[in-house]
Amino acid sequence: MSKIGIPRTLAYFVYYPFCKVFFEELGHEVVLSSPTSRAIMDDGVKEAVNDACIPIKIYHGHVLDLANQVDWIFCPRLVSVRKHGEFGTETFCPKFLGLPDMIRLAIDKLPKLLEVRVDLKKGKNELFQVVTQVGTQLGNGIGEIKQAFAKAVKAQKSYSKLLSREIMPHVALEMLEQQTRQPPREAPYDLKIAVVGYPYVIYDAYINAGLLKILEKEGAKVYTQDMLGDKILDRQARTLPKSMFWYFSNRAVYGGLHFMNRQDIDGIIHVTAFACGPDSMVDRLLEIESRRRKFTPYLSITVDEHTGEAGVRTRIEAFLDMLRYRREKNED
Amino acid sequence: MKKAYLGVDVGSVSTNLVVLDEKGSVLTGKYLRTSGKPIATVQEGLYAIGQEIDQNLNIVGAGATGSARYLIGMIIGADIIKNEITAHAVAASAVARGVKTIIEIGGQDSKIIIMRNGVVTDFAMNTVCAAGTGSFLDQQASRLCIPIEDFGKYALNSKNPVRIAGRCAVFAESDMIHKQQLGYNSEDIIAGLCEALVRNYMNNVGKGKEILAPVLFQGGVAANQGLVTAFNKLLGMEVTVPPHYDVMGAIGAALLARDWAAKKGQTKFKGFNIQEISFKTTSFECKGCSNACEVVQFFENGELLARWGDRCGKWEMQAV
Amino acid sequence: MKISFPHMGHSFIAFKWLVEHLGHECIVPPEPSKKTLDLGVRYSPEFACIPFKILMGTYLEAEEMGAEVILTSGGCGPCRAGYYWVMHQYLLEEMGSKLKVVAFEPPMLDIRDFWKKLSWIRKSGKVSWKHFIEVMKITWEKIKAIDDVEIHSHEIRPYEINRGDTTRAVARALEQLDQADTISQIKEARDAGVKLLDELPRDRGRNPLKIGIIGEIYVVLEPSANHYLQIMLGEMGVQTHRSIYLSGYARESTISNGGEAIYQVAKPYLDELCIGGHGVNSIGETILYARHGFDGVVQLAPFSCIPEIVAKSIIPSVSRDFDIPVLTLFIDEQTGKAGVQTRLEAFVDLLEMRRQSKEEAARLVV
Repeated sequence: MSKIGIPRTLAYFVYYPFCKVFFEELGHEVVLSSPTSRAIMDDGVKEAVNDACIPIKIYHGHVLDLANQVDWIFCPRLVSVRKHGEFGTETFCPKFLGLPDMIRLAIDKLPKLLEVRVDLKKGKNELFQVVTQVGTQLGNGIGEIKQAFAKAVKAQKSYSKLLSREIMPHVALEMLEQQTRQPPREAPYDLKIAVVGYPYVIYDAYINAGLLKILEKEGAKVYTQDMLGDKILDRQARTLPKSMFWYFSNRAVYGGLHFMNRQDIDGIIHVTAFACGPDSMVDRLLEIESRRRKFTPYLSITVDEHTGEAGVRTRIEAFLDMLRYRREKNED
Repeated sequence: MKKAYLGVDVGSVSTNLVVLDEKGSVLTGKYLRTSGKPIATVQEGLYAIGQEIDQNLNIVGAGATGSARYLIGMIIGADIIKNEITAHAVAASAVARGVKTIIEIGGQDSKIIIMRNGVVTDFAMNTVCAAGTGSFLDQQASRLCIPIEDFGKYALNSKNPVRIAGRCAVFAESDMIHKQQLGYNSEDIIAGLCEALVRNYMNNVGKGKEILAPVLFQGGVAANQGLVTAFNKLLGMEVTVPPHYDVMGAIGAALLARDWAAKKGQTKFKGFNIQEISFKTTSFECKGCSNACEVVQFFENGELLARWGDRCGKWEMQAV
Repeated sequence: MKISFPHMGHSFIAFKWLVEHLGHECIVPPEPSKKTLDLGVRYSPEFACIPFKILMGTYLEAEEMGAEVILTSGGCGPCRAGYYWVMHQYLLEEMGSKLKVVAFEPPMLDIRDFWKKLSWIRKSGKVSWKHFIEVMKITWEKIKAIDDVEIHSHEIRPYEINRGDTTRAVARALEQLDQADTISQIKEARDAGVKLLDELPRDRGRNPLKIGIIGEIYVVLEPSANHYLQIMLGEMGVQTHRSIYLSGYARESTISNGGEAIYQVAKPYLDELCIGGHGVNSIGETILYARHGFDGVVQLAPFSCIPEIVAKSIIPSVSRDFDIPVLTLFIDEQTGKAGVQTRLEAFVDLLEMRRQSKEEAARLVV
């Protein structure tokens, strides 16, 4: 039995249920890093290469947070999860592709890195190959791995089901943890706002200075791209001259475009991390398309290590005020 | 007549001049504000030094460094023109034999130089961002209405430095104002600013460098005891501030001039009284090809002394 | 049609010939200048990289000069550059521009699209396929000849006695290449150019340092984007060798996709074949330069370039293990020539001192 550390950032918000069940079924203990905090961010900024974006720096911080408490740190090389795009070459951002190498060379005195290359565009059976490699590194037999894999797939499915019920990922993760099927009661709202962006930015309350909470308090119900099925999202690919090359970016773009077409959505907020390369294009594209497609109100919020709650709150309040004012005028 | 060597370091913020004797000891030094007028500052500085020094001294070699090194080299008649990283390294290893790390923080830029066995093995330099440089402290000092010279004293009186967040000077400033609004005392805020600067320096130019003792801390801001304390704390080792910390670049230039003089012959140094000479820079756009280079011309008393800026070398004429 | 394209070093000479001989009018893109950059910065997203901004400015300048169509390259990611034409088109439309950006995607990924665009250019220029293929062949020879002259100039320059001789000779050689219309004329012009360089007065007693130049293709290929770094180094007495030339790039990357070899070299440090752009190359080539006895390496990268940031985080380990100093220069619109020059001078001093102390050590052993 080993202790396996999982950083509570990047892919955590998307694949954690799968990983947790898989490792636990194999008889290992899963240790999550603490939620992102000032200390984690400072550590990350100190260790990571200077020119990296904030999410990558924060990942370094989470790895350090785990370093002294675990035998392994699960640091997969996420290359692709599907065949998508004009040339079928969709990948994750290049920084994900080089992540294990960056971590290994940036941080001294690490526990062992549980590394595996996840490149699922090659075919259906690929995921099983991946988990087999992981299980073998941990010393588990193929029988155990098969069983754990089946359970993990099931767990991931129930997670997806919760998301499709319009439950936010961080809430759904909590529900799985407490094994409840009942989501917490919804706050009253009079606006529907779509928030699009990378999961590790929009669901991490520290990076975005509590953006989702602020929206909820201000009377907005939040929708994100992760509540939409792949089919709905991918339909939007055809409305663009060309797909982007990065999985999370495509999801954010498609989600944004989908919500622009929806009558019931009052406005769209794109949350982007400072110095994110792909986002320099995602953001302009969404902004231009929001104008071309029926003028859906669009707000872009950039977050970085200095983002304070006050700044985010001011922008959101102003945005919601504008939406409500618009609606009153229309009703008149 | 005793032999002596002149070194001039002209940066965007300060202009430093030193005269060294044969052994490399500093006979006299000047630390002046450049104030956007490098030529006039050097002319005045040279004159002042010429008045101060022993009339028995004979300058047999002159060196120039700093961002205006080429221009100033021509004006004073420098025998050797070197970049400021090399100049700082030369000076540091002369002052402290066996130095392994040099931290240099100036007004607009900061550097780290790694040396092993007297040879530079790695360096980094930061010019775009002000957050790790002296001007960051200057700005905050004027905002706090505390003379920058007193910063060190204030910082040392702090019991509990405030954490000032900020990779960037702009953000740090707004965070500092925020902390002021919360009622923290000036001592703790100033100590916090010193720590923020050191943190920014380490995260920026210091990132990934193998910092080994002995560490030399030089540049104008090394006067600030608060920064020395912050470095000691963050690095977990003592940093040493050399006696002439604020003119190390000029010392390096003078030492390089000494090496030059040992090998070559007659110095080109024009003497200390050059304030009468009028220097002028003009420029024009060359129409020779599509490159349209901006050719700069430099005149001494109306006489063309040098031209540069053309890529093909058609106009170029280096000072003779 | 009035056609223009991105400016990349001297390659415009070949592309101008190509466009004109395909029956179109060529709007030669101006060499990127301060004006280009100002225009580009104004209309580009803040965190787009410098090549994006320079291209944006170039397209706007070309349009001012009358261009109707921009021909450029596409890509399959994960480097952002493959998406640039889409973004440029969006931004141009937003500005009310009529300029059309047409991108050639890598033919091995989408041969039909490639073919369609080629046919469109051929038909609208009213030339036969036979002529078209002939023109392509000649253009390719021109590109190679231009590169040959440039490669040779970087070997010669550190020996030149009169500063500027080499640069002037290159300009003359390129003028002759510009006039050449047949393969044999190109060969002649190329040979004449090389001879011109060889006949320059040289100080053969010098022993120049050797520096390898690696990094992202645009800032490596376009001298105005890197403050004429290779010329600057050459005039400091340094021989430079760069890993990317348009002729080499097209041969290795677009047509035969031969990145496997460099990946094998880089593998112990970065175990991923394609992180986009030239990230893997930058690591592999640092190792190769070290093995070939180079004194140092300069990595050129646009500020915020994702693949080069990954490379930069790994290069310090490579540099340590292979004992080769690497200077990384991140370039953005604020990078000044003075800053680049100071760093390069200090880097050259560092390499010089290293060489001296190594030679001394060797002497002591003997």
